[in-house]
Amino acid sequence: MWLPVMGLLIGILLGLFTEFRVPDQYSSYLSIAVLAALDTLIGGIRAHLENVFEDKVFLTGFFTNILLAAGLAFLGVHLGVDLYLAAVFAFGVRLFHNIALIRRILLDKWLEKRKIKKETQDEEI
Amino acid sequence: MKSREKWCWSHTTPILLKAGDSVKGRIYTFTIVTAVLGFMVAVQFQSTKEVEVRDTRNIMELQQALTSEKERQQELNEEIKKQLEHLSQLQQGGDVEEVMASAMEELKYRAGLTEVSGPGVILEISPVFDENFDGGPIRSVPPYLLRMLINELNINGASEIAIASQRVVSTSAIREANGVTLINSSRVTQFPLKVRVITDDPERLHYAMMSSSSREMFSYENLSLESSTVTELVLPAYDKPMRVRHMELIKEDS
Repeated sequence: MWLPVMGLLIGILLGLFTEFRVPDQYSSYLSIAVLAALDTLIGGIRAHLENVFEDKVFLTGFFTNILLAAGLAFLGVHLGVDLYLAAVFAFGVRLFHNIALIRRILLDKWLEKRKIKKETQDEEI
Repeated sequence: MKSREKWCWSHTTPILLKAGDSVKGRIYTFTIVTAVLGFMVAVQFQSTKEVEVRDTRNIMELQQALTSEKERQQELNEEIKKQLEHLSQLQQGGDVEEVMASAMEELKYRAGLTEVSGPGVILEISPVFDENFDGGPIRSVPPYLLRMLINELNINGASEIAIASQRVVSTSAIREANGVTLINSSRVTQFPLKVRVITDDPERLHYAMMSSSSREMFSYENLSLESSTVTELVLPAYDKPMRVRHMELIKEDS
């Protein structure tokens, strides 16, 4: 449970201390890639909670989503159409959807747990 | 329960796992992904962070800045001294009215509300017609040229300026309406246009204007700029009402 959080911290520290910089004109690609990564991560957590998680799907989805989003943004720049908006929209909607689902699952689990606890207490009495 | 699936205890809740997919492996996958995400976020943060502005002035520029600040300090000190003198005069209880009147006179002079005289330079702007002249008749001097001229005069040490019969004060507007230049809302159409300038060093101003870039700019508009020094000049007072927009009268408690 704490390992992913540690991973996040390690990643942030690594990013802060390696002095790695993206040129200004490419920072929009990176931001869209970050969004894609976030979407995949949240999707993975949801899949994990719904017991449909698969390692390979998750990993390939993570990297292809990032590349696809950046590629879409790149194509948009060269076509003169703000295609990155499509990616932002799609990922944004999915992000909210997935977060809502995660919340529901966790809420259900919590309520069930409480119910069971209550029942056992009643039985004891 | 299907044979492919088995129950496994995660940290808090029972989670259904598929065969060949351990909790540990799953956690590692998440760790890798979160690490990559963290790295990307950190890089993005660092990249979009504003670049700190560095002071790249060299010694010369720093010295100039220091000198100008010193000059400003001296000016302010002089101002303080003057005000203190005023104060002491008032406190000594002499003729308060006279002190106030002289102070007001001084302020009026500085605002350009009085006639001033002194040595200076007269600039004459007149149209030049050569063989290659095309375009319509020249009705007045374009405002941008006058603004440039005033800036250049001020740079070269002019203390008071009047264009035609209009005194240029700090709130003077130089603008164009219907192809005619207006100064202090008065039409300035006559040629040759006389610009009278009072300065401490007329000679220097004369030579500066003769070699100035505004002279060149005037020639592009088919206008010639001639300068001559004068030992005594009289500049008219600013005769329009002063428009004060950003000052308010503060009533003191009595």
